[in-house]
Amino acid sequence: MSRPAILTPRKTVGHATPRVDARERVTGKATYSGDVQLPGMLYGRILRSPHAHANIKRIDVSKAMALPGVNLVLTHENCSIVWGAGSVSGGRHYVDSIKKSTRQRRYVFNNPVRFYGDPVAAVAAVNRHVAEEALRLIEVEYEPLPFVLDQEEALKPESVKIWPEGNLALSVENTAEPEIYKRGNVEEGFRTSDFVFEDRYTTTYVHNAQMEPRVCVASWEGDKLTLYTPTQGTSNCRHDTARDLGLPDEKVRIVCQYMGGGFGNKNQNQDVDLITAMLAKQVGAPVKVELTRKEDFIGVHGRWPTTQYYKVGVTRDGELKALQLRGYSGMGPYRKNTGAIGGVELYQCANVESTVYAVYTNRAVSGNYRAPEFPQGFFGIESMMDDVANKMKMDPVEFVLKNMTRKLNDQTPYSNYTLEECVRRGAEAFDWKKRWHAPGADAGPIKRGVGMSFMALRSPLGQSSAVIRLDSNGRYTLFVGVTDIGAGAKTTMSMIAAEALDTALSNVDIVWGDTDRCPFSVGESGSRTTDMTGGAVIEAAADLKAQIAAKGMPKGSEALIASASPNPSSEGKVRKAFGAHFVEVEVDTELGRVRVLKYLAVHDSGRIINPLTAESQIKGAATQGIGMALHEDLLYDRGSGQPLTSGYYGARIMTHMDAPEIEVIFIESDDGYGPFGAKCIGEAGIVHAVAVVGNGIFNAIGHRIKDLPISRDKILGAMA
Amino acid sequence: MGFRKDIMSKRKGDISRRKFLEGTGAVLAVTTVAPSLKPHLSAAGAAEVETTPAGVPTTSIRLVVNGAEHSAVVEDRWTLVEFLRDHLRLTGTKIGCDRGECGACTVLLDGKPVYSCSNLAVWADGRTVQTVEGLAHGDQLDPLQQAFIDHDGPQCGFCTSGQLMCAKGLLAHNPHPTLEEVKAGMTGNICRCSNYNHYTEAVLAASSQQTAAADRGAGRNVAANAQGSGSRRVTPVSTRSTGGAR
Repeated sequence: MSRPAILTPRKTVGHATPRVDARERVTGKATYSGDVQLPGMLYGRILRSPHAHANIKRIDVSKAMALPGVNLVLTHENCSIVWGAGSVSGGRHYVDSIKKSTRQRRYVFNNPVRFYGDPVAAVAAVNRHVAEEALRLIEVEYEPLPFVLDQEEALKPESVKIWPEGNLALSVENTAEPEIYKRGNVEEGFRTSDFVFEDRYTTTYVHNAQMEPRVCVASWEGDKLTLYTPTQGTSNCRHDTARDLGLPDEKVRIVCQYMGGGFGNKNQNQDVDLITAMLAKQVGAPVKVELTRKEDFIGVHGRWPTTQYYKVGVTRDGELKALQLRGYSGMGPYRKNTGAIGGVELYQCANVESTVYAVYTNRAVSGNYRAPEFPQGFFGIESMMDDVANKMKMDPVEFVLKNMTRKLNDQTPYSNYTLEECVRRGAEAFDWKKRWHAPGADAGPIKRGVGMSFMALRSPLGQSSAVIRLDSNGRYTLFVGVTDIGAGAKTTMSMIAAEALDTALSNVDIVWGDTDRCPFSVGESGSRTTDMTGGAVIEAAADLKAQIAAKGMPKGSEALIASASPNPSSEGKVRKAFGAHFVEVEVDTELGRVRVLKYLAVHDSGRIINPLTAESQIKGAATQGIGMALHEDLLYDRGSGQPLTSGYYGARIMTHMDAPEIEVIFIESDDGYGPFGAKCIGEAGIVHAVAVVGNGIFNAIGHRIKDLPISRDKILGAMA
Repeated sequence: MGFRKDIMSKRKGDISRRKFLEGTGAVLAVTTVAPSLKPHLSAAGAAEVETTPAGVPTTSIRLVVNGAEHSAVVEDRWTLVEFLRDHLRLTGTKIGCDRGECGACTVLLDGKPVYSCSNLAVWADGRTVQTVEGLAHGDQLDPLQQAFIDHDGPQCGFCTSGQLMCAKGLLAHNPHPTLEEVKAGMTGNICRCSNYNHYTEAVLAASSQQTAAADRGAGRNVAANAQGSGSRRVTPVSTRSTGGAR
């Protein structure tokens, strides 16, 4: 294994630093999109489908329009915007051509409606109470249609067709085919294996449940639209909105100063942005649309549920010979993402075959939620491999060290490789050898067990931009198009700038979150901001330093301005962040209750720019993963197709009382790419957090729970 | 969260929770805000035009918010958080769920943490409200605010005001909570960024700092207090309250 290079200490980067905007966050001064109030602003509300699948036969808005204070009602009859962002076939975001070519278009108002929560109409009124009252006065006649909720069932021939082409989501070429990956020959692999194991795992729809529900304030000045909206990428949101509304990019301004989390829920633009823009345009006044918590749960999107069939062939001494996955991902009725199931790439194996079907169902739409395809996929494969190791009477850590990836897909080298160190350091710090025991070995009803899981997560380089201005008073102003979703991008970018400019952090001001004031930024999704926009900041700083060297410091009204839009590559190597999690759980087998007693997260995310906020990221991600493992779920009534648990209580989101202490160890390395060697971090902590809890529970009770969440009823059922 | 009977009896007879949720509406009218409210609103920099339809029940209330007295005519259906955010422009208090699940809207009502989404503005008549904007004294942050900064409590920050106000109420009631007591006291305040470890660390840190400051103020030996012999600061808690947030 390669040893990480010894890191050169830096002046600013690498030191635990409170956020540059921390004071605003604790004094209530931080302005979130919902805090924006404009003169003459109206309030909008959205009417949503009460059916999982139905034709709209008739909409009568006359009573709603007659209500004093109501200005406008939009329905599919008077508004037919095609919503293109991530919602069209193939899930390849930002590709305008797909929007034109796909046969499966999503309108902001659809007929038929295809899930409980599909927008049917929107109202603009003088205040939110009148708008809510108006919704109740809209008369809609529905013709309910059969519906299907399960992704595997939806592919059966007798299932209702949600789209004329069928329920297998169309590719970018409008063809109905699963995503297939192959290397070697799995049949040959299974034939030469000493043991072959097969199993089925399922995961559920888990909602992002970010604290700030989606909200949008739209304002038109002439033909220019300004949206105050929480988005994880102002540049992408602007382009998507402009494309969907048929405007040039420069006629759309996106402002997002502070935002209350997103975890992928606020990537690009959302239908509510378009609805708000259309309401504001047609009434000729600014409009604010606020989604309720329930609407956000069912009307935006969460993690796609999956069904995963694995077949694994191993030799007598525990070496992987063949690995096969057949998976089904439930996308809801509109495709917002790939529906991929990650994890197969974690293992070194000559013969691999993965076939994943992205399937339409009449559930809430699935889309990005922190590491979109990984926690559910890793739960499947890491449970499967843990099971194989146990059946082979091997220590799971030994099995992992024997079979884990050394090159991507056994072919492409990593830019550096510290996975083995993550696993070994973690096992040592956790005292794995001492704690691990035969599954279900504890006598008595309270049983303890330990689990381990590991991960490698893409950390690519890519294009982003930054501008830095130096004024004669010696202050630097950094212009970056980031929004601070909560990961601390403003602080990270400022620290990188201070380091690269060789100045104190206090000399750097930052301008962010406004497309009229900032250059393009890649967007706070895919854990990319530090890598990509951070790289642009370093280049702009280098340019500025060169200007200072050539021209001297600016005087009087002079200013020096530097900009950079680099598009670096890692030269044929694959950049990945690595990690290993270890957990000890206690299961009360009489109550079915699981407590996490000890949780250790070891990560190599390259150089850590700000240890304080980086720790927060890992702890938060791991805690979300524990919630997904143990109790989070959006349950549906099979009879009516209605969601039953849309909210914090119902979906059982983690609370103070649920959250264990998370111990974090960073192994820092510098692969020579990325800003000062930094790699991705935001999603890294959740990727294997679900799997590790499942493995810990197995070790405690000796029964494998194969369907998420591992709730009390399932544990009691397994113990009965 | 439940509502105590003495609060329920303060309601006007015709406002049931059901009716409040259903809302009503008839003819548009403009409600003039009470004179004493006007200076505050103009100070907030916004020309307020109220749009209360005729026939919508309204009530005149007087209350103290962050030490300043206000009187206002409120629609009976307005929640306390709606009044604070939209009409007093105190937008530091956030709405996460608007249904008593998440705690983002927690404020202190007569010193006790409550969900302001689950209280009507009219119920605050004659009472004292403290929001996140009232925590700092000028530039001097409350020890809790400083601890939240130092321990990186807020990630996205949307639940932070609620966490702060809940912690403020907790420490007023129990200046020396254990970790378990902090978790139990604040479990009604969800943080989806799940920075729970840092929030509880921050509250414990502020708790010890608060004690040290109180002891310095009282001329006591801080070192002695650290060994557990110091006095406990007692903050009176009003008996008129709607109960803690969950």
